[in-house]
Amino acid sequence: MNVIETKNISKLYKQADQDIKALNDVSINFKKGEFTAIVGPSGSGKTTFLNTIGGLDSPSSGKVLIDNNEITKLNSNQLIDFRLRNIGFVFQSYNLIPVLTAKENVEFIMLMQGSSKSIRDKRSVELLKSVGLDDQLNRRPNQLSGGQQQRVAVARALASKPKFVLADEPTANLDSSSTSNLLDIMSRLNKKEKMTFIFSTHDQRVIDRANRIITLEDGKILSDINVK
Amino acid sequence: MLLKIAWRNVWRNKRRSLITIAAIFIAVLLAIFLRALQLGMYDNMINNVVGSYSGYVQLHSKGYWDDKTIDNAFEVNQSVLADIQNIDGVSTILKRIQAGALSSYNDLSKFVYITGIDPENEEILTDWNKRLIEGRLLKKDSKSIIVAKGVAKYYNLKIGDTLIFIGQGYHGMQAVGAYPLQGVVDMKNPNLNNYSVFMTLPVAQDFVSAENLITNLVIDKEQYFDENKIAQVIKSKINNQSYDIMTWKEMTPELDQLIEADNAGGILIIMILYMIVTFGIFGTVLMMTQERLYEFGVLISIGMRRSKLMITLIYETILLTFTGIMSGVVVSLPIVNYFYYNPLRLFGAASAQMETAGFEPVIPFMNSYDIPLTHSLIILCISLIICVYPILIIYQLQPIKAMKR
Ligand SMILES: Nc1ncnc2c1ncn2[C@@H]1O[C@H](COP(=O)(O)OP(=O)(O)OP(=O)(O)O)[C@@H](O)[C@H]1O
Ligand SMILES: [Mg+2]
Repeated sequence: MNVIETKNISKLYKQADQDIKALNDVSINFKKGEFTAIVGPSGSGKTTFLNTIGGLDSPSSGKVLIDNNEITKLNSNQLIDFRLRNIGFVFQSYNLIPVLTAKENVEFIMLMQGSSKSIRDKRSVELLKSVGLDDQLNRRPNQLSGGQQQRVAVARALASKPKFVLADEPTANLDSSSTSNLLDIMSRLNKKEKMTFIFSTHDQRVIDRANRIITLEDGKILSDINVK
Repeated sequence: MLLKIAWRNVWRNKRRSLITIAAIFIAVLLAIFLRALQLGMYDNMINNVVGSYSGYVQLHSKGYWDDKTIDNAFEVNQSVLADIQNIDGVSTILKRIQAGALSSYNDLSKFVYITGIDPENEEILTDWNKRLIEGRLLKKDSKSIIVAKGVAKYYNLKIGDTLIFIGQGYHGMQAVGAYPLQGVVDMKNPNLNNYSVFMTLPVAQDFVSAENLITNLVIDKEQYFDENKIAQVIKSKINNQSYDIMTWKEMTPELDQLIEADNAGGILIIMILYMIVTFGIFGTVLMMTQERLYEFGVLISIGMRRSKLMITLIYETILLTFTGIMSGVVVSLPIVNYFYYNPLRLFGAASAQMETAGFEPVIPFMNSYDIPLTHSLIILCISLIICVYPILIIYQLQPIKAMKR
């Protein structure tokens, strides 16, 4: 079953001198449990693509279906609720609420979903344990390293039990050991919990860990390779 | 949770928040202090002159106020009295007869106003015991007189001394009499202190040969009743041809004007104060919003409703102002209370100025909870209006634009 389906999505940016096609007629499907890297040169449309399937940006034309729901039809408030319930996000940096501790950051998203205190407590500790931060529960983001912050962000993304997790260059600001540590955690969660991950990257070491590699160029799919 | 986040956000930039809170604190403190002082002063003025002596409303025969001669005295009709007593908000009605006369003692003489009063009823309007500084107060059947302290000082009178009065009686009759002194009172008002002599109503009526006549009907109101309304009702109920009904503002327009002018000045100062505070709060809220656009973008992306984000920012603004307001109110309370029980006593030029204007040079502060409440609410309203800014910003925030660096 397809978790995500895109049908001929295009994104056009009208500029004074020329129009830019950030996405050009992209049709692609993602299945549950995939661990996909989106790669391509700078400006090829990776961020635009992730924003579009994440419901943060709307395509100029085409459809995005998530679990057969056409999200391109939803209004702004419905989209926010849809993202809360279905999609986990990990951004390049500064993901966390600075005034909340690691644990509170993870709980925050469950709180917005209306989970009870006992469930929030249990699950946030569990998740932080699974990203190896059970000893940092009460630290605030500025007391954590960049790698640790990204791991909290992954834990938060999973807290809402999303259908998939989108990560736009999650390792761009990390050193190599933090990068491989984060990748280990993501791929373990992918295998153990069948969590679908889609991430964009420039980093060859990250690309090597993926089991599907989609290459974009000028807003078009250049290649789509399944590894293993 | 939103409240917790808001509270922590307030303290994210400790110095900035503290400066803002301090500004609000100072504004609230100053505003309360100024108003307690001003309103306390007015209240004292009105009370000294109006509340405890001339009454909020008076009834005279037509033309008496402009020509205060005994010939304008009138006989008060029992049914008129009953009509007035039945009006909502009227508490006490006092009959007085007043006449000017020349007083003399040994080789000194002085112009005074003799007022005939009904001692038992007067007691309801004012606590005359508080005014007595020497001797005894008038009783129903007293034949002696009491004088205000200025008169006593002028003649250097002792209890038991006899004063002689010469004046004009009703319809050209001679008014002459000699009365022993039985008490000295402090009228808390320099004008009244310099010219007042009191005797019982029958004694005074006898002195001016005006049996059963009075010149002033003093109508006192229950607390917080609007005297204008009472005057209005009286006007509609009685014969306007023969009577004038006046409120204290008409009888003592100088006092009303003085208060209005002074009050306007005070309000202007407070408005300037509030303007400064408004810009202070706005500046802080502006920065609190602008520096967090990226964070707002993340929050909306991961699924936080805009409305919840707005509420968080409103909480932040209110917490910030509320902390300032509360500290201002808490600090102002003991100060205002202190000056309520220990009125500020003016000295030097200010004191002389008040005395010539006819007031005691003391300012008891007003310790009504109205003042802190009003000013807290004003600042709270200002901060709520300021909240419009973050609300608008969040309303039109596009997460991907906000997160672009
Ligand atoms: N808001 C915008 N207005 C105009 N053009 C835009 C806008 N956002 C993106 N673009 C253009 O769309 C194209 C795709 O941009 P996108 O950010 O998706 O690339 P990317 O693959 O993520 O690049 P990078 O690897 O540098 O992050 C680029 O040519 C970019 O200049
Ligand atoms: Mg990008």
